[in-house]
Amino acid sequence: MWKVTVSGLLAHKLRLALTAVAIVLGVTFISGTLVLTDTLRNTFTSLFGQIYQNVDFEVRGTAAFSDSSGIGSVRKAIPESILPKVRHVPGVAIAEGTVTGYAQFVAPNGKAVTTGGAPTIGASYDTHQQISALHLSAGRAPTGPNDVAMDRGTATKYHFAVGDRVKILLLGPPQTFTISGIVRFGSADNLAGATLAAFATPTAQHLFGLDGKFDAIDVVTSPGADKTTVRRDIARVLPAGTEVVTGQTVADEQSSSINQALGFFSTALLVFACIALFVGGFTIFNTFSIIVGQRTRELALLRIVGASRRQVFRSVLIEAALVGLLASLVGLGLGVVAAIGLEALLTAFGITLPTGPLVFQGRTVVAALVVGVGVTVVSAVSPARRAVRIPPVAALGDHRSDQVESLRRRVTIGSVIGLVGMGLLALGLTKPAIELVGLGAVAVFLGIGMLAPVVARPMSSILGRPLAALFGISAKLGRENSMRSPRRTAQTSSALMVGLALVSTIAVFGASVSTSATSSVDHAISADNIIMPSTVGAFGFSASVGPTVARVPGVTSVSTIYNGRFVAARAVATITAVSAKDLSQTVILRMANGVGPEALAAGELLIDTTTANNRHLSVGSIVPVTFALTGRSTMRVGGIFKPNTPLGSYLTGESFFLQHFANPLPVAVLVRTSGAPGTQAALTRAVEAYPNLKVQTRAEFEKSQQAQINQLLGLIYVLLALAIVIALIGIVNTLMLSVFERTHEIGLLRAVGMRRRQVRAMIRSESVILSLFGAIIGVVVGTGLGVALALSLKQQGITDVVVPMSSLAVFLVLSALLGLAAATWPARRAARLDVLAAIATE
Amino acid sequence: MTSTDVRASESGAPQPGAAARAVDLVKTYGNDDAIVRALDGITIEFERGRFTAVMGPSGSGKSTLMHCMAGLDRPTSGQSFVGDQEIGQLDDAGLTQLRRDRIGFVFQSFNLIPTLTAAENIRLPADLAGKKVDGEWFDFLVGQLGIADRLGHRPSEMSGGQQQRAACARALIGRPDLIFADEPTGNLDSNASSEMLAFLRRSVSEFGQSIVMVTHDPRGAAHADRVVFLADGKLVDELIDPTADSVLEQMKNLGG
Repeated sequence: MWKVTVSGLLAHKLRLALTAVAIVLGVTFISGTLVLTDTLRNTFTSLFGQIYQNVDFEVRGTAAFSDSSGIGSVRKAIPESILPKVRHVPGVAIAEGTVTGYAQFVAPNGKAVTTGGAPTIGASYDTHQQISALHLSAGRAPTGPNDVAMDRGTATKYHFAVGDRVKILLLGPPQTFTISGIVRFGSADNLAGATLAAFATPTAQHLFGLDGKFDAIDVVTSPGADKTTVRRDIARVLPAGTEVVTGQTVADEQSSSINQALGFFSTALLVFACIALFVGGFTIFNTFSIIVGQRTRELALLRIVGASRRQVFRSVLIEAALVGLLASLVGLGLGVVAAIGLEALLTAFGITLPTGPLVFQGRTVVAALVVGVGVTVVSAVSPARRAVRIPPVAALGDHRSDQVESLRRRVTIGSVIGLVGMGLLALGLTKPAIELVGLGAVAVFLGIGMLAPVVARPMSSILGRPLAALFGISAKLGRENSMRSPRRTAQTSSALMVGLALVSTIAVFGASVSTSATSSVDHAISADNIIMPSTVGAFGFSASVGPTVARVPGVTSVSTIYNGRFVAARAVATITAVSAKDLSQTVILRMANGVGPEALAAGELLIDTTTANNRHLSVGSIVPVTFALTGRSTMRVGGIFKPNTPLGSYLTGESFFLQHFANPLPVAVLVRTSGAPGTQAALTRAVEAYPNLKVQTRAEFEKSQQAQINQLLGLIYVLLALAIVIALIGIVNTLMLSVFERTHEIGLLRAVGMRRRQVRAMIRSESVILSLFGAIIGVVVGTGLGVALALSLKQQGITDVVVPMSSLAVFLVLSALLGLAAATWPARRAARLDVLAAIATE
Repeated sequence: MTSTDVRASESGAPQPGAAARAVDLVKTYGNDDAIVRALDGITIEFERGRFTAVMGPSGSGKSTLMHCMAGLDRPTSGQSFVGDQEIGQLDDAGLTQLRRDRIGFVFQSFNLIPTLTAAENIRLPADLAGKKVDGEWFDFLVGQLGIADRLGHRPSEMSGGQQQRAACARALIGRPDLIFADEPTGNLDSNASSEMLAFLRRSVSEFGQSIVMVTHDPRGAAHADRVVFLADGKLVDELIDPTADSVLEQMKNLGG
């Protein structure tokens, strides 16, 4: 039996290849994602390891709470006075205080140097080469108040040299420094894309608002000293609120927070890979169904000469497993190539990633093979079961399998699966539980896939009618072909159905988010201008921007917005601060309960209605809070406001915020103007000193918010495109198999006078009907899913549900065109058939 | 066991007992409105070690009889036996085993697996059963059938006669109790037909094989020990030691 399977596979190499393509693509995606994220993880881990490799211990403030998001836990700075005490501990060879803060270079062209997400680090320069991760590659260490050392990455990219002057954006107003030296991080030119400006320690302390303080003290022990003892002795001299940890711990913490972000990133990519494989599963199921149909005679013959049902079942599954294995191996290889491609794709979308040697783990191989072979085999189970039901007599004469499966049974099962899926979806969306949503969506697709054959015949008939009217007999035959086997029509187009359903879901959801964002800006902000960093993902900007802008003539009110992390009622959350004074001029705060500006001025907490409901809070509730800088205390809820997306869930006054956060960076400045002529120009001029910022009108801000959403949508579309490609390959595959199957018939048509062009037109019409059928069902289902998704997120600020009819129409037109393209090869093949040979073929 | 032993031990006079028999076999198709009685109560016995031909006009039920007696199709009522085994009582697994171990088939359209070589096709039943092929018997058969030099070829690289001889070897390789041959010469030219019929005749006379052959061809039927005639799903007549002329005569009488 093994021999039958293998020789059958080898005899149908084309069939093998076409079936395998879907799996190859899916597995490529999976292994590519794994290789890419493993590589990045390895790069970051080794970089942090390098940086802390010479540091034995680090003394630092304890974290009031641990926060795994963003840049990690916020720690309180420690007083300078600890340094001499640490130095006096026996066994300590070197102890050096360090500070870090915000410092962003300005390029010679006047534009801020941006990193696309990586931090722009300012740091104190440690003169002890033994301890420092920084190594001078040119010039000397920064010593004076005007000296700065620049990372070699930035220096190379922007052609800075030792002795050049460079403007740097800081917490306070921008300043100009002289480059005293160029440095590298260990062996790298920069730290995973981050830029670095290193200053002499006292300069750095002053620039970062940390006079008399250190963020940490790095310690190197004397050779031969017992590290455990030294650590214990250091701990003894430390005041409360400080701790001593090993350099390794610090490195691990830093890489683990990056790894967490990478984990999210890799999960997101793997979700798309799974979508592609799910669609691929439909394609494989369809191909194997057709193959089993075509091999009816051969399988029946095997049964006659003594193959048991189990042997037939196994032979189909073994064929699937072999195809899956082969495809997975190819996919694995291509995955490495894809890892490089994915990186390029993400870079194209503005997400810069560090580079390092490719990491190829055993787990990648296992995952790729298990998933690839698994999907293929599972998809082939149902066709294999059908193969088993073939009676031995089918080998004799023209025994037509008249086993018209009861449609009623199909409708029942399909409806049940579909309804269960919808239930799971609804449950998952309200909970919310993403796993249930996914499972529900899968069930809905399977259910609809089962129901599709019921409508395939009438729909093909309707879709084909205009084609037949336009293109005559060829299109009419194509229409007949697509109506001939509703089951095959439905199965072939179900892959495209799933793909388009997902695309439409995203389109509806995206349009809703986009419109909601616009209207939420209108409902949340009354300022005329919004000043924000011009790059997405920047960490903030100078605190001096607010005062600078306030001096511009024509500006009537200015509100500076801050964000910070804190613990409210035992959950880590983001708190937003805004000044109470000009609040009504810049922000629209619609109070549901309590008072707004008064509460902010009093340093009380404002929460939005969603949070109030979820956490059972009301005006007057006392909430236990923890701040990194000041520790535990309580806040009174002064008021409850209606959801305001830009402001978030927790709001407090600026003065209260500044007391509880050390040197926070503003995230936005809101400006109200008198509208006098020249005000806008004056505003723009005033902000020119900060090239990392841009001044936007409210309309521009709305547009840029939409642009961000659209960019994300673009990325999702690209990732979903793979699923569509796989679906199209499924159509090509089916048409090819149909052409083989109908060789005799096509030959007959040619013999009675059908021209090659007409043969091609016939196949193309069939393809277009198949594609449109899948696309229409997909768009309908996807619109439903998208509306459900948007509705369920109403509380999260998606207030408007929008169905973008024009986009959906474009999808349908594109699907028809793609169907036309998919038919190219099969149509050519059919047109090339040798008439005589085709008729002779039985 | 050598090939001479085979011939010595299994040749000679017919052994007692039936290789297969049917009792009051009925097979109907269609529903109440348009019922077709393909088999209308046939009782028949095929003796061991004999060559029986089944004849009759198109639609007389020849093929249906064969399918029902070989366990390929289930009769509407009645019983059929292979040896002492009543095959109506067998489930699918039992029928599979019966076909594999006790019955051989030769078809009009050869029905070789196109992707396997001739040798692989011949060995297929044994491979499916997970049994070892008797090498000497294999060599003997392919030698007798004159396809020893075609063993590595696929069906598409062989002539019709060669394909049918390979199919014949496949049927004989397991030494089945009974071979059903369904118009084995229907797709062959007259030369290949004669060779095929001569071989079937010899496998009955020399190796004691039992064969039931459905045919249209009076000259083919003349190779049999006995010819039975069907018409309208009923057994209507039979001839012992037929000649082509006597068969033809009988056919005329039946109006075929």
